[in-house]
Amino acid sequence: MSPLAPILLSLKVAAIATAISLVLGLGLARLLTRRGVRFAALWESLILLPMVFPPTITGYLLLLLFGARGPIGIALARIGLRVVFTWPAAVIASATVSLPLMYQNCKAALMGVDHRCENAARTLGLRESEVFRSITLPLAAPGILGGVALAFARAWGEFGGTLMIAGNIPGRTQTLPLALYSAVEGGRRGEANLYLLVTVVMAFGLIAVVGYCQRRGQRGKDGAEPRGEARR
Amino acid sequence: MIRARFEKRLPLFSLRADFCATDATTILWGDSGAGKTTILDCIAGLCSPDSGDIILDGSYLYSSSRDIDLPPRERGIGYVFQDYALFPHLTAEGNISIALPPGEKRRAAEFLERFGLARLKSSRPGELSGGERQRLALARALATKPRLLLLDEPFNALDRATKEATRREYLALRDELGVCSILVTHSKAEADLLGQRVIEIREGAGPLGEYEHVADDGKESV
Repeated sequence: MSPLAPILLSLKVAAIATAISLVLGLGLARLLTRRGVRFAALWESLILLPMVFPPTITGYLLLLLFGARGPIGIALARIGLRVVFTWPAAVIASATVSLPLMYQNCKAALMGVDHRCENAARTLGLRESEVFRSITLPLAAPGILGGVALAFARAWGEFGGTLMIAGNIPGRTQTLPLALYSAVEGGRRGEANLYLLVTVVMAFGLIAVVGYCQRRGQRGKDGAEPRGEARR
Repeated sequence: MIRARFEKRLPLFSLRADFCATDATTILWGDSGAGKTTILDCIAGLCSPDSGDIILDGSYLYSSSRDIDLPPRERGIGYVFQDYALFPHLTAEGNISIALPPGEKRRAAEFLERFGLARLKSSRPGELSGGERQRLALARALATKPRLLLLDEPFNALDRATKEATRREYLALRDELGVCSILVTHSKAEADLLGQRVIEIREGAGPLGEYEHVADDGKESV
């Protein structure tokens, strides 16, 4: 097996998982930050569970849900789909564990938006959907992008859950963390070091993104402060 | 003309408003914490009273007995917020054009021109001076051609020289546009300078649960 295969698979799995958790995380954060949602604390706990669960437990739960005898597994089998021990299963595992990070970042970003700006937009005749698209989302963007970077990092490193539900099949479901484990176990140091190098480069990139988002978020807040007349 | 007669329970007291604003500028004057901003928010539809009626030019904006509570976007009310609440991610032009319907976006330039902001159309609010920000907030609120203009301490964030200049601008503009407005201030001098009529909002010094009363005592000034 070429050592490139796990790298490319991990890129694909982490990217798709991050996209899924962005849509779910942002949608759920918007839903649950509104007032009057029943059992909001309960829904939030369910979203956050994978963050405190051991990854193998999350993987086992996913196996129970998506397995041949699980409710979702049975439903998927009816339309001719089987996900367990395929690369989409790795996506499911990665999306599940990165969702809590994404959700928390999106929630903090949405709640951090100056609600007076949203109210101003309402008095200017904008519909709620327009307020969200034109005001809330752009103002929350740095925080959301930070969430994307962290979620991608978490998805990239997912090991336990992936092993449980997708297995460690070289060339099919073997993502980079699993390939690293196999390489070290098999004494293939060169391959292991390549994975290390790729991950280090990736990590610096993601940290740069998070740092940029924090600075942008801070500047956005500073920009909202009046500067007074002294400037002129 | 706006008729507001409503009650809103707040954490510390119950706010009662009962006034009619017909003049070019009606001032709500009172100390901080008396509920002035809450009254404006209720009129704009940003929060709901617990009971009562709010009628603008003969149509109900809010009525507890008729079960009417129009959302802010359907009220036709312009609102200049305290500290302006300009959109920090949009340019001066963007702040105005966002309020205009798709076919009329070009009118943003007219408003910038009229408020002396034409050369700053590509600047963001963070790059504007206090006076410029105030004018932009006013231009934005007026861009939707509101039936009523609400101003919450609009001159508060300005230094003295700018404050006097912008007050003069406001008075000139008010007479030119003829839009009915309600202005909130804690400054007695400002109330007397700008208002045809001043409604005092008395501070509720009473114990918890005592009624705060907004009296329409029709005090004439200026």
